[in-house]
Amino acid sequence: MVEGIAAAAAPRLARRLWASPVWRKNLGAAGGLVAVIILFSVLLGATRGISFADLGNLETIFRQTTIVAFAALGMTIVIVAGGIDLSVGAIIALATVVIAACLRAGAPPAAAALAGIATGVGCGALNGFLVTRLRVVPFIVTLGTMLVVRGIAKGIARDQKIDGPKSWLTELLARLPADREWMVFPAGVWLLFLFAAAVGGLLLYTRLGRHVFAVGSNEEAARLCGVPVARVKRAVYVLGGLFAGVAGLMQFSRLTVGDPTGAIGLELNVIAAVVIGGGSLAGGQGSVLGCLIGALTMQVIQSGCSQMGWPNWVQEIVTGAIIVAAVALDRFRHRGTA
Amino acid sequence: MKRVTAWIIAVLALAAGTGCKKKTTDAIAVIPKGTTHEFWKSVHAGAEKAAQELGVKIIWKGPLREDDREDQIKVVENFINMHVKGIVLAPLDDTALVPVVTDAINARIPVVAFDSGIKTDDTVSFVATDNARGGKLAGDHLAKLLGGKGKVMMLRYAEGSASTAERERGFLEAIAAHPDIEVVSHNQYGGVTTESAFKVSENLLTAHKGPGGLTVQGIFCPNESTAFAMLRALEDNGFAGKVRFIGFDSSPKMVDAMAKGHMDATVVQDPIKMGYLAVKAMVDHLQGKPVDKRVDTGATLIARDAMTSPEAQALLNPDFKRWLKE
Repeated sequence: MVEGIAAAAAPRLARRLWASPVWRKNLGAAGGLVAVIILFSVLLGATRGISFADLGNLETIFRQTTIVAFAALGMTIVIVAGGIDLSVGAIIALATVVIAACLRAGAPPAAAALAGIATGVGCGALNGFLVTRLRVVPFIVTLGTMLVVRGIAKGIARDQKIDGPKSWLTELLARLPADREWMVFPAGVWLLFLFAAAVGGLLLYTRLGRHVFAVGSNEEAARLCGVPVARVKRAVYVLGGLFAGVAGLMQFSRLTVGDPTGAIGLELNVIAAVVIGGGSLAGGQGSVLGCLIGALTMQVIQSGCSQMGWPNWVQEIVTGAIIVAAVALDRFRHRGTA
Repeated sequence: MKRVTAWIIAVLALAAGTGCKKKTTDAIAVIPKGTTHEFWKSVHAGAEKAAQELGVKIIWKGPLREDDREDQIKVVENFINMHVKGIVLAPLDDTALVPVVTDAINARIPVVAFDSGIKTDDTVSFVATDNARGGKLAGDHLAKLLGGKGKVMMLRYAEGSASTAERERGFLEAIAAHPDIEVVSHNQYGGVTTESAFKVSENLLTAHKGPGGLTVQGIFCPNESTAFAMLRALEDNGFAGKVRFIGFDSSPKMVDAMAKGHMDATVVQDPIKMGYLAVKAMVDHLQGKPVDKRVDTGATLIARDAMTSPEAQALLNPDFKRWLKE
């Protein structure tokens, strides 16, 4: 009898979860991710006899995705609000330089990390200020700050990389030592999950989150409804900068050096991650889960192509084609349901 | 319907994930700093030559974005997960690549560093040009051209670049053996771009200009970009050919300049030999043979008058197409 109820309840629960918009919306993107994983599992299994979806490899892929994924959390908020931030790669580079310079000056690791993140927040605040005060479109504003921030990074570093002394910061995204394998992922990846949940909650359940969607969907309507549009936009770019700063911290953890020439063009990967995950550059659409799936998809393609031993030009063509195909399929699906 | 497809996909994914047994990949990974420069094409050719002669398989894979440290780290990580037999790496950074090289060695995958050094002692070998010797060759030749007396200057490359700093040191040591040669400038850095090096070159030439032309008789530049920039500055100001000028590395434009007499010599590395010896060091190590911790791949000075010899031509125009089947 009890079993019978449980048996009847289980599908109902499954159906309820299934019906939840969070999953439904990301079905297409998730299917794409699974498809590329299967594709490379089959290809690699058949041609090289190695398994792609084994735990060690998946752990590596998560570690490799973390930098783009952190930046994509911020970019999701910016894109949902109808904006764009091209300065993300430069902010990441500047953050690594600031962290390395602070460590070198003898600052404790935690302070250096905070300084790096604060740098990101500062850059984001500058973007927000320029976008709202000058009334120049964000594409142009952040195109400009991209160069400004990159220049500052090179200036601070005097056109070279800065070696940082060894500290626990470099362990945030390092392969786990044997005695800590029970953690499955290093701390940086867990931080990503934590922040992703926080941003998801922020977008779906807080007033700011709803305002972000309102501004992105129809700015004029939002203004007429009393949404403080300028303030929302400033908050959005500050958050974008914050997560770019955290991504910079993760980048430093991977490189162990401050690299002013690093992360060039990374903003495009970040934007692609958001868009593959269902974000719309017209604003008003996008989700945290989607952007994580998008970031993972891109890294799976990169790792898969790399392990297949394909030359880089093949890899670039494949990545480009998959981005366009993924987004086109998603739009097609939406047209079908609407 | 959609649900059914989703389930099929999930099951397939699991099957694909667990179906294959973990095996090592029967290949040696060779990772350059980039893949588009001619220098790396030649290294690739050398590695391919070694693979064919020694009967091993190599996978040639550079960072997706040229000269991007993060991308190179990812490439190494992917090869670790593939359990390749060995990794032959030209590290983009002597520090940033250390953690991932340590990961490889912990996974019992030996690593040979080539072209540039890395700050760890755990690599099997370091296969690269002896840059100090290359600089010394340039210094000796310049002294010979000047008859052991005169004023010379050197335009440095960039601060913190280890290979060029070695060349600069070798050059200055060779010149120091000639008491009648005075080094009038050796503290200017051209920087990483040809453009910045061009500006610095012009400033240097202006600073050493007298009423009847240049007051220096000899110039040395430690790499391709500084040598090319200096060459352009000399040509623009009409000094080309009136001063003894030695560069490092080669490019079609530098070969032209040598033919025209605008340049007197250049020191070239042997990238094909570098790729060959790097792979050979790894193969020797895997077969249990002893391998030297440091392997010199040679630097050769090519003077103007000897540039048409077959040996010089092989170095100036490496025949990489033969091995890459392009």
